[in-house]
Amino acid sequence: MIEPELIEKINIILAEEFEVDPDIIKPEANLMETLELDSLDLVDMVVLIEHNFGFTVRAKDFAEIKTFEDFYQFINSRMNGSQ
Amino acid sequence: MAHNDDKSWSGKSRGGFLGYLIFVKLIRSFGVRVAYVLLSFVVVYFIPFAPSATCSVWKFSRIILGKGRCASFFFLYRNFYSLGRAIIDKIAVNQGKYNQYKFDFSEPEDVKRLLNSRQGVVIIGAHFGNWEVGAPFFGKYGKKMNVVMMNLEFEGIRRILELNRSLDAFNVITIEGDSLEYIFKIRDALARGEYVSLQGDRISRSEKHIQKTFMGKSASFPLGPFVIAARMNVPVVFYFAEHIGFKRYKFDFVLSSYNDVNQDKQREKFLVEEYVKVLEDRVKRYPEQWHNFYEFWDYER
Repeated sequence: MIEPELIEKINIILAEEFEVDPDIIKPEANLMETLELDSLDLVDMVVLIEHNFGFTVRAKDFAEIKTFEDFYQFINSRMNGSQ
Repeated sequence: MAHNDDKSWSGKSRGGFLGYLIFVKLIRSFGVRVAYVLLSFVVVYFIPFAPSATCSVWKFSRIILGKGRCASFFFLYRNFYSLGRAIIDKIAVNQGKYNQYKFDFSEPEDVKRLLNSRQGVVIIGAHFGNWEVGAPFFGKYGKKMNVVMMNLEFEGIRRILELNRSLDAFNVITIEGDSLEYIFKIRDALARGEYVSLQGDRISRSEKHIQKTFMGKSASFPLGPFVIAARMNVPVVFYFAEHIGFKRYKFDFVLSSYNDVNQDKQREKFLVEEYVKVLEDRVKRYPEQWHNFYEFWDYER
């Protein structure tokens, strides 16, 4: 179970960093398409995760993230040290 | 802005393995001078048989440098000869003949301190001069150099690098398709306090780029190397190895001041601005050492 506060925090950070309206961020929406990310933006994403959530990201982590829901799960599980 | 037209580099570099092998054997057996003599004839072959490179150098000479037809023909020869000489010299250096060369270091105190520290450093170079001739010298700082290049380019020159023992002097981080693996390898290398070298003057198809006035005309510079450097939040050094005389090179280092810029998203733009100025200054001094053989400028703007 992911805390709603964590989801809200993630959404605010993503909306600010990638300059999108927070309302378009839905759990089932595609992360890359919604935020209009390209490979260079993913450099920002890596830095953003490591800076805000304090853990190190690996290339294979991104391969499994398709939707915002996947992203919340990923952040939550890594913050709880379960991966 | 993504770059998606013919004015981009294909990702492959020209040059046959057999030709390279001949020069390796020649240098080993007879020395560099004999290789230079052979080169003076080989260059004449390349002018008609490497038409796209010839065309790009011709336009560079005529439009950017403003030279006449006759002067441009000589410039074309000198430019190709300069590339061949750079290849011969790096073969010779990697064969251990570096004591036959003289190397000057233009290395400000702040750069010297930085390269001697345990700090990871991003080094941004260009297809200018002979950056590879200096790679073995980074060993003097006791760190490992990681050179970032496209997988297609690396596969094309892997045998040459192995033959030339260049891979003893530096590690290669390859960029493969959409894989993000290279970003993590760069990050890890910097965290270990190593150098990561990227070229800031060549764009491939679909790569994000930025238009800058360079040598008086609009040209596209890749954003990737500058974004990566800025986000990794480590010192950035611009590095060039210029040929300044017979068997003589100058290693030229300039420390970027991009860390003075507070806004994250402005840092890469500042880095590009700085890089363009520094590179332009060098290319104006040694135009024949510009070895970026594709249509770099947008001549219609």
